[in-house]
Amino acid sequence: MKTKIVYRILFVSTAMTLALAATAHAQSVDYGSLQTLFNEPVTTSATGSPQRSTEAPADMQIITADEIRRSGETTISGILQRAAGIDVLNTTAGQSEVNVRGYNQLASPRLLVLVNGRQVYLDHYGLTTWAAIPVQLEEIRQIEVVKGPNSALFGFNAASGVINIITYNPKYDDTNIATLRGGLNGQREGSLVTTFKIGPNVSARLSVGGTSRDEWKPTGALPLASDLYDPASVKSNLDIVAQLAPKTELRVEGSWSNIQQDNNLGVGYGVIKMINASEKATLISETRWGLIQAQAYQNQLTSKYASRLGVTEWNNAITVASLQDLFKIGADHTFRVAAEYRHNTLNVAPIGGANISYDVWSGSGMWNWAINRQLTLTTALRVDDLKLSRSGSFAPNVALADNNHWNRDIVEPSINLTGAWRPTAYDTVKLSFARGIQAPSLIELGGVQTGIPVAPGFTLNLLGNPKLNPSIVTNYELAYDHDFMIAKIGARLFVQDWTDLKSNAQVTALDYLPTATTNGAFSFINVGASHEKGVELTATGKIADGLSWRADTTYTDVKDKLTTGVNAVARSVAFQDTTPKFRGNIGGDWEKGHWEADANLHYVSDYQFYSLLNGALVPVKAYTALSGRIGYKMDDGVILALSGQNLGSNRQKQTTGLEAERSMQFTITKTW
Amino acid sequence: MRVEFTRSLLSAAMVISALGLPQICFAEGAREIQVAGRTLGFLENPPSGRVVMGIVYDPSKPGSVAEKDEIMGSIGAGMTAGSATIVGKPVDASSLGAAGDVYALYLTHGVNYAAVGAAGKAKKVLTISADMGCVNSGACVMGVAADPKVGITVNHSAAAAIGAAFKAAFKMMIKEI
Repeated sequence: MKTKIVYRILFVSTAMTLALAATAHAQSVDYGSLQTLFNEPVTTSATGSPQRSTEAPADMQIITADEIRRSGETTISGILQRAAGIDVLNTTAGQSEVNVRGYNQLASPRLLVLVNGRQVYLDHYGLTTWAAIPVQLEEIRQIEVVKGPNSALFGFNAASGVINIITYNPKYDDTNIATLRGGLNGQREGSLVTTFKIGPNVSARLSVGGTSRDEWKPTGALPLASDLYDPASVKSNLDIVAQLAPKTELRVEGSWSNIQQDNNLGVGYGVIKMINASEKATLISETRWGLIQAQAYQNQLTSKYASRLGVTEWNNAITVASLQDLFKIGADHTFRVAAEYRHNTLNVAPIGGANISYDVWSGSGMWNWAINRQLTLTTALRVDDLKLSRSGSFAPNVALADNNHWNRDIVEPSINLTGAWRPTAYDTVKLSFARGIQAPSLIELGGVQTGIPVAPGFTLNLLGNPKLNPSIVTNYELAYDHDFMIAKIGARLFVQDWTDLKSNAQVTALDYLPTATTNGAFSFINVGASHEKGVELTATGKIADGLSWRADTTYTDVKDKLTTGVNAVARSVAFQDTTPKFRGNIGGDWEKGHWEADANLHYVSDYQFYSLLNGALVPVKAYTALSGRIGYKMDDGVILALSGQNLGSNRQKQTTGLEAERSMQFTITKTW
Repeated sequence: MRVEFTRSLLSAAMVISALGLPQICFAEGAREIQVAGRTLGFLENPPSGRVVMGIVYDPSKPGSVAEKDEIMGSIGAGMTAGSATIVGKPVDASSLGAAGDVYALYLTHGVNYAAVGAAGKAKKVLTISADMGCVNSGACVMGVAADPKVGITVNHSAAAAIGAAFKAAFKMMIKEI
């Protein structure tokens, strides 16, 4: 608690100091001006260096602010569902599980999610709670979707992909917008985003917003209505940029969110309450040695998981400090060298009295070589060294009751290697290899310790596993893009191999057998490998001025190769059954005068998923979900819009849990 | 059947050919000057306020004159680029001395870029052209292209000769020679 207060005082005092700072111009990436200049979005999410989206050496899709607004979607996961190759499990009205190209699961752990480079992926469980991300949709400049591993830049958990949410920069972008939204199913939302100056050299953006809606109604035996709570969220964000010197800039960001939502926990539905707070400072200076960036942030999470089994509270704090230098040597070589330290700590729960933590030291480098006008080679390498530790007491008779079991090092390299060939101005061919790392979550490593009385005097434990290894993914991809000027097409062939997949605990098989002095226990284990191959096809184009279309489809074929004896279903690792073969979108948007409209059909083929009743695999039939928006732009900055999701039916079975309900909302926005 | 098949093939070929054609044809120079103007905001000390860009042309070459006219039409009363408003001023390549106080020179195709480039260096003025020969030869500081996609090339030694420096992020996104 004392640490939190100190951080907040530091944050506020830094912000006040900035108001007094001195003169000058810009050093950070001015996304808006660069996008205007190059006529396409700009990103730093591929290599850390600013690059045009079409030239980034990663398979990337950028969703722009205009596309977000015109989609009519009201959640980040809803927006992502429209991107090619993205799997989304809409499990409740408030939570969705998102992954790239298959391997999606409850508490989806393989997709690293960031806001302006700050992790909003939650390390305690190793997942993303989308409603807790402290941004309003109206302050997002773009959402960068990196498909495939990118651990060599971002570190652990950038395994299936990365979502980097880039907000407007108050230094360059004036963003003043108020939004009111109301709709079916009790949906009520309001937000305010405003940019202002604090003195001549300091710019700031403040956002606040809240949402609430009714939970989807239960239609089957489970979950019970009494287990469900309506989702709600409140969040705020303050972003301050100060020019300290002509070539030096400081950006300080602070955010807070408080949410409540139901989650499908696998063993049933439970309500989660979370408070997230974060403080971040980034110093960027253009020096004779290159563009140097020093960054530090801390995320504090307080989470309470309530279910029929009781309430468990986990408090997770992660502190990250990094230093990076980006520079060019000659005309053709761009380099990035970086070092990072992170400290992560979590209380052990629900039987407390202990903490688990780790420190990670990382070194990384990137080399981008423009061999000639047609050929580019990009190599990125990172090594992470994780030192795990545990302190505190153990529950009575628990297995592994010695903190020394947690004194362990995990050292893993990550690689991203891409060769790009642009034989003409209209064609790009990219061949890439990546090795990514999915680290065990803190809970999997030992953050959970609970006793389950099964008979008088006989207790079993659910424990974390300090010996759990990270999952390793290797990805090979061949990508081709062609620009017909009025249409663009893309094709990707990819092969992905996972080793040391991590499993859930299996309550029908003990991982630690009981002894004379210790209880038997369930835990998380490494269960073997899985192989995926797939194809992704995308096309976008214009039919006429103001009328555009888009289509994509992604085919994946997953074959699990689990360790002999592993029960894939009981361990929740039956990915070849739970990954649909196809997912895709077809849509269009139209704009004329004051009017604009957008419609999108999202298709998911048959797949199987775990039953809430007994955990067995049950079929989920293929479905198509229609979403759309019609907007009218008035002359005074007011936009009136009617939008909806799952418009095709009152309720639709998209998972084995709650059925997704039709949603419609009316939105008024005022921009000034 | 064969006729239908041939027609189908022809139709497909026509569709593919049509897709390959640019939807909108811009006059040469109109889009390039927009790119050139926007690059000024990425100088380490970017200009602000009213900025005069000399549009250098050769009156003996119709193509050069036409490009100058397109550019002047595109700029109109002023083109906003960052915090600067760029206004165009036609400059006869043979009388550069009469250009007056210009922030930059934009060289149309066909002018003697070696001579204009040398004059630009003498006056420490930024020189830009869509004629890549100019930047490749070192006469111009910057070459710009707008179609089919924006391309920017900066000649390092020419930039150094006039003391022009660009922001780091910009330099990482362009071609330097």
